[in-house]
Amino acid sequence: MKIFNLMAMISLTTLLWSCGGDEVNPDEFGTFQVYFENKVGAEGITLRVPGSTDYDYETSDGGPFNLSSLGYYVSKVTLEGPNGEYFQDEMSVTADESKGYYLLKESNSASRNILLEKVPAGTYDRITFTIGVAEEGMKEGAAGGVLDPAAGAWFWNWNAGYIGLMMEGTAEHSGQTYVDHGNGVEVLEKTFGFHVGGWKDVTDNENFINNTKTVTLEFGTTVTVNPERSPLAHLITDVLKILDGAQVDFSTTYSIHSPKGGKVLADQLSNTFSVHHVHQSTSSHD
Amino acid sequence: MINVLKKYLAFSWVLLSFLGSCGGESIDPEEDIYAFEKPAHFPEPTYTFENNPVTREGFELGRRLFFDPILSRDKSVSCNNCHQQSRAFADMPLHPVSIGIDNQAGFRNAPMLANLAFMKAFFWDGGVSHLDFVPINAIESEVEMDESLANVVSKLNQDERYPELFKEAFGVDKITSPYLLHALSQFTLLMVSANSKYDQYILGQGTLSGEELEGMQLFDQKCATCHSGELFTDFSYRNNGLSSTFTDLGRGAITEDEADYGKFRVPSLRNAEITAPYMHNARFSTLEQVMDHYDQGMVSSPTLDPVFKENDQVKGISLTEAEKAKLISFIKTLTDRDLISDPKFQNND
Repeated sequence: MKIFNLMAMISLTTLLWSCGGDEVNPDEFGTFQVYFENKVGAEGITLRVPGSTDYDYETSDGGPFNLSSLGYYVSKVTLEGPNGEYFQDEMSVTADESKGYYLLKESNSASRNILLEKVPAGTYDRITFTIGVAEEGMKEGAAGGVLDPAAGAWFWNWNAGYIGLMMEGTAEHSGQTYVDHGNGVEVLEKTFGFHVGGWKDVTDNENFINNTKTVTLEFGTTVTVNPERSPLAHLITDVLKILDGAQVDFSTTYSIHSPKGGKVLADQLSNTFSVHHVHQSTSSHD
Repeated sequence: MINVLKKYLAFSWVLLSFLGSCGGESIDPEEDIYAFEKPAHFPEPTYTFENNPVTREGFELGRRLFFDPILSRDKSVSCNNCHQQSRAFADMPLHPVSIGIDNQAGFRNAPMLANLAFMKAFFWDGGVSHLDFVPINAIESEVEMDESLANVVSKLNQDERYPELFKEAFGVDKITSPYLLHALSQFTLLMVSANSKYDQYILGQGTLSGEELEGMQLFDQKCATCHSGELFTDFSYRNNGLSSTFTDLGRGAITEDEADYGKFRVPSLRNAEITAPYMHNARFSTLEQVMDHYDQGMVSSPTLDPVFKENDQVKGISLTEAEKAKLISFIKTLTDRDLISDPKFQNND
């Protein structure tokens, strides 16, 4: 399939080149940056310590809240162009590394800059990516890099798989009471924790909830990749769309730690992401 | 995957021939015992050997880790505590449920580890779908080893011996969790149980007694719906009428579906003779009790498996005393003495 795409693209770009249009050399490659900026509605994000009563945001239902942790896995990134250009970020899971998987955390702006390399020269107007770690990231077994559970990966043991989206904070009306789990692990009053995972797609068992979601965004314009031009797509992740879309009432919904519980949040991911702008610059963007 | 495995096996063979030819002798039997071999009558393995081929160094490192309580918070509990070779790597009868750190009791009976290379999912509830991830549950369980995977990795990196052993096994300068998990998988993957009296009979290398053969016939009629194939499980999750209400949701906790409450994995019956007690909750201590349960002890509940029902009433599996004895005779032919005496699984450090 990949080879077919590559062949198709090469012949297509060769054809375009010979026709004397945009000069595209099939042997040329460039890089492409994707920057994810997290927002709550129009507001930028300031992380607070758990339990803080500085409520920076409000749901449309009038539920004041703040965020203490926010992040998600992005994987399977592809770029497409109007002339059949196609780039698929390499995906490979081994004990050494997990290529093509990115853990984007609000607390680490560098983690939200994805640098795609070896992108064939051409024009691109569309990006597709998956939120979460789907079956191909699980079936290879123990993984290194951002999928290493001992090196900060967001991993569930009991129902083994990765947490695709994590959102934690404090909400004025949260129904959470104080819980002491021992060994210094505690859940503070009025906090909330939403861990959205679940990747199994079992054809003969509909009980499994697959919360990995694929998102496609149109740039609304084209950008050119070549050895001299390394464009950037600045995307917005508006988590208010998740909370409002799911009509989250913190008084009853404050603890989500299972695939079924996370479904209502995962179902909003198709409306959560948007393109802020794209440009041709090569400098990193923050 | 199979092709890659074949390539690997072929490569190993070439390598072994080469080593053999250097010494002027045939294949070194010491090396050969670390090759994973699918028994002729078994299904294809499910494990991703192409990512983690079994080697002598990896296997021996896995064995060392298996017996080393360094995996637990206070260095008091090793894998071996609940998985004993003499019990086909199930727990001993004295521990109906796992006994972990600070002598805490777990929730379920520790299953045997034989034939893990062929399983499609792990644990009584099937919550883990790849063997590599299995040890994390035991390491991080508060009532088993109560240690974080990250801290185990850190302890191993600070240890005098382990960094060198990981380098020998995997060529890595720093220990990370995927290599720890790969080493443990290598050790357990070779726990293949396929040389029981039954296997010898199936492969035309041995015989069964008249009573055992009658038991096998009965087994095919009355038990093989669920305990099917050469692994003696169909890998399904079923409620076999142990309780009318469930303190342990079993499969239901994984699927979050009421229709799965109280269902547990159909276990393999290989080595059942030496893996008492039986059922996820260790309800029965003898095979006779298990027979009595299926014959007349089953209780009704909304998720009781339909195979045990007739006209919406609990039917169970009706068995005469003579039939029970024959079935048990057959089940005892599934005991693999090679597995429980194989010196390569013994603590060697």
